[in-house]
Amino acid sequence: MKGKKLKNSHLDSLFDGFLKEEGSIILGFKRDGNAIGHHIFKGSAKDYSLINPFFSANGAIYFRRLFSKGAKLLFILRPCEIRAYVELTKLTQIEREGIVAISVDCPGTESEKEKTDRASLPEDIRDYFKGDNKKRWACINCREKRGVVGDAGIRLDRDYNMWIIPYTEKGERLIETLEGELTDIPIDMAISPDRQTDSFKTDMDALRSDLKRCVLCMNCRDMCPVCYCVDCVFNGDEYLPRGDALLNKVLRTGSTDMPQGKELFHLIRMYHVSQTCVGCGACEEACPQDIPLTKYFKGISERLQGIFSYMSGRGFDEAIPYTTFIEDELKDAED
Amino acid sequence: MAEGNKETPEIIGFACSFCSFKASEMAGSLRMKYPEGVKLIEVPCSSRVDPAFIIKALMEGADGVFVAGCHPGDCHFIKGNYYTRRKIAALKEMFRAFSIDEKLRLFWVSASEARRFVDKVTDMYNNIKETKR
Repeated sequence: MKGKKLKNSHLDSLFDGFLKEEGSIILGFKRDGNAIGHHIFKGSAKDYSLINPFFSANGAIYFRRLFSKGAKLLFILRPCEIRAYVELTKLTQIEREGIVAISVDCPGTESEKEKTDRASLPEDIRDYFKGDNKKRWACINCREKRGVVGDAGIRLDRDYNMWIIPYTEKGERLIETLEGELTDIPIDMAISPDRQTDSFKTDMDALRSDLKRCVLCMNCRDMCPVCYCVDCVFNGDEYLPRGDALLNKVLRTGSTDMPQGKELFHLIRMYHVSQTCVGCGACEEACPQDIPLTKYFKGISERLQGIFSYMSGRGFDEAIPYTTFIEDELKDAED
Repeated sequence: MAEGNKETPEIIGFACSFCSFKASEMAGSLRMKYPEGVKLIEVPCSSRVDPAFIIKALMEGADGVFVAGCHPGDCHFIKGNYYTRRKIAALKEMFRAFSIDEKLRLFWVSASEARRFVDKVTDMYNNIKETKR
């Protein structure tokens, strides 16, 4: 695989050159003192940051339902965010035409909820990969920390030199504008492929006790980048009855815990996002009750994607398993 | 809402109107018996069954759910049951992770296989009755 060695000044000129054109914007991270967060750059990419060591939301959610053609967008985000974007293009929730997505090697993130002292954020991107800081569960068990998804990737080798590597034609066109020659990239990188984890196993009692605190605020659904239905089944009275509908149901069936339908809500959502879940942990981050949702959503989605040898967000041309089939498969599906 | 303390299990079946539901009608006209606890819901194709229906049925008190469709390759809509197969296989894998996979079954029953339908349904009913005890 070929790529170009990068210096920070290269990136500055790449981004500023990109933003010079009319109607072009960059979605990335902005550093403001010791605060880093998602930012949309227009005009100039001053104070951009390639790495954000804190996770608050999955950036793919901001451009969901983007259908305009002609606009030029550059995404410089974490691998999990780019993977969610890839899934959304397959679900026709994002028009891919004007977008170039660059994934950046991710050292893992801390939760934005943790009130850590941010007095000393490293100035240099390399230092993020050296320190051993507190990471979220989702990041410790991440399936793909490498910037190998999207149109191009920014990766670090063992000596912490930056490389930019094109994966698609769009990426190649963007990288052409950079100075320097395409050379073979080193095999040893700062971040190596992740080990496979055992398949997830639990039972309903564990789920029930974890969901005891759930208040059905549905923040997990709203912040999930790939939970995209405009008309969600949980809007309205069909699945989660309230008022008269609840009264009728309780009279018909019997006593129930409140809020009613917690397991129903999470199990259905778990199934609906099973093939597209990227395991970013945005649901857990959005949960006001600190329920360990990532454990379930990530575990189930990896198990279910495993049946079809699928990995969410790995490539643009892999179809989502539920939307396609092979005639000669799953011989033992019938009971 | 786990109110499943009744004596006999209740099983919800989603049956394709072109084959499995016809098979159940044929079983009726041939005076074959299958357990009373089995409630059939006619669907235009087995792929009409969103796994959300199955989860909802189970969470609201059903002891078991089955989905019955045409044999692969015989779908009235050409390829509907191939999608069903993928969806239900994945759902069963999810139930396996939660150790409740005995509550879901997938059958292929064509319109003429009344005997097969009755056998499969009765077998499922007896199994669930056994585990309930």
